[in-house]
Amino acid sequence: MRYETVIGLEVHVELATDSKIFCSCSAHSYGAEPNDHVCPACCGMPGMLPVVNRRVVDFGMKAGMMLNCHINRVTTFDKKSYYYPDLPAAYQTTQWFAPVAVNGTVEIDTPAGKKAIRIKQIHMEEDAGKLVHDLREDTTHVDFNRTSVPLIEIVSQPDLSSAAEVEAYLERLKTLLRYARVAECEMAHGTMRCDVNLSIRPEGSTEYGVRTEMKNMNSIEAIKRAIEYETARHIDAVENGTEVLVQETRRWDDVKGKSYAMRTKETAGDYRYFPDPNVMPVVIDDEWYDSIADSLPELPEVKFERYTSEMGLGEYDAEQLTRSIALCECFESAVEVCGSAKDAANWVISEIMSILNTKGMTYDMLTVNGETLGRLIVLVRDGKVGRANARRILADMFDDATIDPEAYAEKMGFIVSNDTGLIESVVKAVVAADPASVAAYKGGREKALMALFGKCMKELRGNCDPQVLRVVLLAEIEKA
Amino acid sequence: MNRETLRRLEMLNQLSLTEEQKDDVIRFFDAREADFEVIDKFFDTADVERMVHVMPVMTVVREDKVIKKFEREALQQNAPETDEGYWCVPRVLE
Repeated sequence: MRYETVIGLEVHVELATDSKIFCSCSAHSYGAEPNDHVCPACCGMPGMLPVVNRRVVDFGMKAGMMLNCHINRVTTFDKKSYYYPDLPAAYQTTQWFAPVAVNGTVEIDTPAGKKAIRIKQIHMEEDAGKLVHDLREDTTHVDFNRTSVPLIEIVSQPDLSSAAEVEAYLERLKTLLRYARVAECEMAHGTMRCDVNLSIRPEGSTEYGVRTEMKNMNSIEAIKRAIEYETARHIDAVENGTEVLVQETRRWDDVKGKSYAMRTKETAGDYRYFPDPNVMPVVIDDEWYDSIADSLPELPEVKFERYTSEMGLGEYDAEQLTRSIALCECFESAVEVCGSAKDAANWVISEIMSILNTKGMTYDMLTVNGETLGRLIVLVRDGKVGRANARRILADMFDDATIDPEAYAEKMGFIVSNDTGLIESVVKAVVAADPASVAAYKGGREKALMALFGKCMKELRGNCDPQVLRVVLLAEIEKA
Repeated sequence: MNRETLRRLEMLNQLSLTEEQKDDVIRFFDAREADFEVIDKFFDTADVERMVHVMPVMTVVREDKVIKKFEREALQQNAPETDEGYWCVPRVLE
């Protein structure tokens, strides 16, 4: 019998706010001392009241709109009870009865064409703290820095049917949320985490099989391996009776390539959800809703179309640029200043992306201002700064976003010299010092000219119009 | 409402009811369910907006701004045990 896999995902995404969801502590604790970003509210001290961070609601709405959801204009927070030391209040404040966004769709590409994955809901909630088990044998150490860091959980319907579709779906989520600048979505950093609900059924059947959940997987490759393993395990159990499948939560061990039972799956009733009496309903009026709707970015495929059809870029260039909203914004601002989409695309793709890769930065971490890049491109195009020196200026712009390219080129001595007397004297000296290369060029070796050209350019520190230098050099060789 | 559902509710709410109390609770819930059936029968609530709160109130929101008001040492004054900045609890591992 042939089976199909039925997969639904619960994706947790850490929102890119400065402060936590219900208090003013910093939401960024990377590199911080344990419990340095905490207050009585996020430590769960009795009597402390939460105050909602407006930007969390902004981002929840924005994510919902990017995923074609209906936005609940009255959205409420609820308490989800569970007792564990990473949750100091013994409940998580989340959304159960009226989440911020419901009933959306995300379209993915599959070998069979486009496929719409339905989104059940997006809800806003607080993260839990971190437990450290290996500092002492008898004790668990608790760090509340991450407690109350804002998350959204994106719950899909069970519309996915393979590891490849899951990968396409997660990549699409990342792209949409990064374009909207609501989240970093970097699984390796823990800012995107995924639980996989999986079952199998005979092809063509509409009944669902026994569902298992694998929690907190942190790489797409691990998720794909886990899905393949779990699908095979389910089929083996059904076909050969190797085990009795039960609804449960399982842990994926990526090193061993196996999943293990963790606990029997909880149902909603186990969490005793109830409306949080400490947070009143969030009411999203027309003005608030419209301000978010108006701030939505152009989608990557729309940009791609515009770049290729209106701006004349090739598909490769357009594809590279639309990999990140930061690259797109830099490119578009540069074009406004320099007027050439081709030049701006070249600089972003060959220079900026290469520097980002060398520095190990993601494209979204780009800090170079597109308008400044545009001015640098103009300096090169006008022959005022050589390309090699312009690259050096660009590299320095990564460390100091306030650099003014004209002033910086002046300060560094990168402005191309129009002093023909200086050029001629340098050329004369280089030609006189290297008669072998002169003879080789005259004998037909074109490369010898490049060697002489390079020496002259080095002496002039790159500050010379290459066309002028070439003319002067050829004249001097003729005389030699 | 049946005995099995009630047993689960007892567990979730950390209650221990006598047999007589259990009968009372079951009778109570059955009666309320019957009430809702009556409401369902006579009133069409399909287009009625869900009531999210008994009062016409809404939350205030704050600006996304980091304010550090508390030092760790002050927050940990009442902790039974701390170690290198961490709160310490009896060892838990799943």
